[in-house]
Amino acid sequence: MTRSSNLEHDKLKEIARQLRLDALEMTTRAKSGHPSSCFSSVEIVAALFFGGILRYRANEPHWAERDRFIMSKGHAAPLLYAALATAGYFDRAELLRLREMDSPLQGHPILDTMPGVEATTGSLGQGLSLGIGHVLGARLNQQTFRVYVLLGDGECQAGQIWEAAMAATHFKCDTLTAILDYNKYQEMGPLSREMGIEPLAEKWRAFGWHVEEVDGHDLGALIEKLDAFKQIRGKPQILIAHTIKGKGVSFVEQDYTWHGRALNTEQAQKAREEILCN
Amino acid sequence: MEILSRVHARNLVEWAKDKPNVVVLSADLTSSVEIDLFRDTYPDRFFSMGMAEQNMLSFAGGLAREGFLPFVHTFAVFIYRRAYDQFADSIAYPNLPVRLFGFLPGVTTPGGATHQAIEDIAVLRALPNLTIAEVGDATEMETVLDAIHPIQGPVYVRMLRGEVPRLFPKPEPFCLGQARVLSTGTDLTLFSSGLCTEEAMRATQALALRGISIQHLHVSTLKPFADPAVLAALKQAHLGVIAMENHTIIGGLGTCLAEMMAEAGIGKPLIRLGIPDTFLHGASKPYLMEKYGLDALALVRQIEKLVGTSLNITRQDLADIRLESVHSQAKAEGL
Repeated sequence: MTRSSNLEHDKLKEIARQLRLDALEMTTRAKSGHPSSCFSSVEIVAALFFGGILRYRANEPHWAERDRFIMSKGHAAPLLYAALATAGYFDRAELLRLREMDSPLQGHPILDTMPGVEATTGSLGQGLSLGIGHVLGARLNQQTFRVYVLLGDGECQAGQIWEAAMAATHFKCDTLTAILDYNKYQEMGPLSREMGIEPLAEKWRAFGWHVEEVDGHDLGALIEKLDAFKQIRGKPQILIAHTIKGKGVSFVEQDYTWHGRALNTEQAQKAREEILCN
Repeated sequence: MEILSRVHARNLVEWAKDKPNVVVLSADLTSSVEIDLFRDTYPDRFFSMGMAEQNMLSFAGGLAREGFLPFVHTFAVFIYRRAYDQFADSIAYPNLPVRLFGFLPGVTTPGGATHQAIEDIAVLRALPNLTIAEVGDATEMETVLDAIHPIQGPVYVRMLRGEVPRLFPKPEPFCLGQARVLSTGTDLTLFSSGLCTEEAMRATQALALRGISIQHLHVSTLKPFADPAVLAALKQAHLGVIAMENHTIIGGLGTCLAEMMAEAGIGKPLIRLGIPDTFLHGASKPYLMEKYGLDALALVRQIEKLVGTSLNITRQDLADIRLESVHSQAKAEGL
């Protein structure tokens, strides 16, 4: 790694740290939300928004050629809002209004309520289908933007995901990239116990996708893989990112009981210290 | 009576000619919902989505977001039963301009309960941001696309196919939110919707000959339900009000009227003629309409109750029943 890329990497790591802190502060303040689901996706979102993968203009949110990013795992909304604010779509002060009455920052994202929010998600399983709509819309409009969809692993239990997986291959959606946050836990426990989705990579391959796997907390590897995906022609791509649920906070990591629960003020203070030390 | 065939097929092609943002989505029922002509005429604007309605509805949301006007076509049951969640969250909640055409309402198919949309209006009327229209004849089928075009949000159209009568003059198009007055009278007010209007008209002629004065309105907008002419007609009903619809009596036209009457303090008898609270058998349309009590003679019997006397009207006194030779050009059995 060169000296300048080392600097870039350090900067990106710092952004990721701040995104993790933001998701923590927002959910603790709101006294509800899904902090552990945000923590597992932090590096993925950081790589997309700040690692040179997504093309966007924060001061021109409806720029026609922007890449579309759909947070299909809508319960990670705080992370999306934090990324958008960090990117400059809106003021960071807005982040403090998560889940407040009349706040545009609802617990799950709503299309166009804030600049940069591209889709209404939260009912899991719908984001990939929405993404295909964007891809074929771009094709009809002769536009070249790419579409990125961040999937949760639990939602891969939903039939609609596989309807969409089939359609994306059928329509040769090579401008469609899915990233799967594979933290291996859902609300009630490990996926392997609740409803196993393995063999996962083989499933996506069988549906005709280009499949790669990666350490979902390795920023450099994420960027490298997502960059390489841009050269793939004729088929959609999925990056299965192996992650740790609750990554960055030891007492939250791998403990599924934190799935839909915010940390209280004391817990958040401990978590903050850990995140800052990492 | 003029009978037309494949009205939607031809009309859609003509209507969409100068509207390049109109795209049509199909879930393996392209011929059965009369969009084969569109597919053949504008292949670039046609998407075969396979038998996967949940994906199709969310996909439509994505397309709408890119500036297109997706026209989703399938049997109604597969829209509101199979893909209700996608309808709600990918289309209605973000208020996207998607048009959904639901075919085989109520008794229009011998395919049986799995294919008969008997509660679509009840289910979808509760969905915020949605506009609901139901066509009753060929003129409405030809003009409903223009009527709903200005609407920025989603629209559900309860659609007909195959052979359809022209009940209303061609120069009198579908007007969103406005009921059609088919006869004026003071004894009672009759509201009918969809294909029940044809049945109602078979009866009202015979009833007029017996001196019954009926205010008859055809209702084609189920949501929003706020037509001042409907309210006025409810108020003027002397003996009572009758609703007649090809839908379960729970949650459809009759319920809309009951709500309006209650809210306006109109304390008059309301008779709801429609599909009773049951899944239907599969059979021909006239058979089912008679069996479940939503044909012309059933209407006469209810009016006799309101009037309090027998009108001595038999089946022979009613206008001829119209037997369809073809339910669908796609399949002989009319599925």
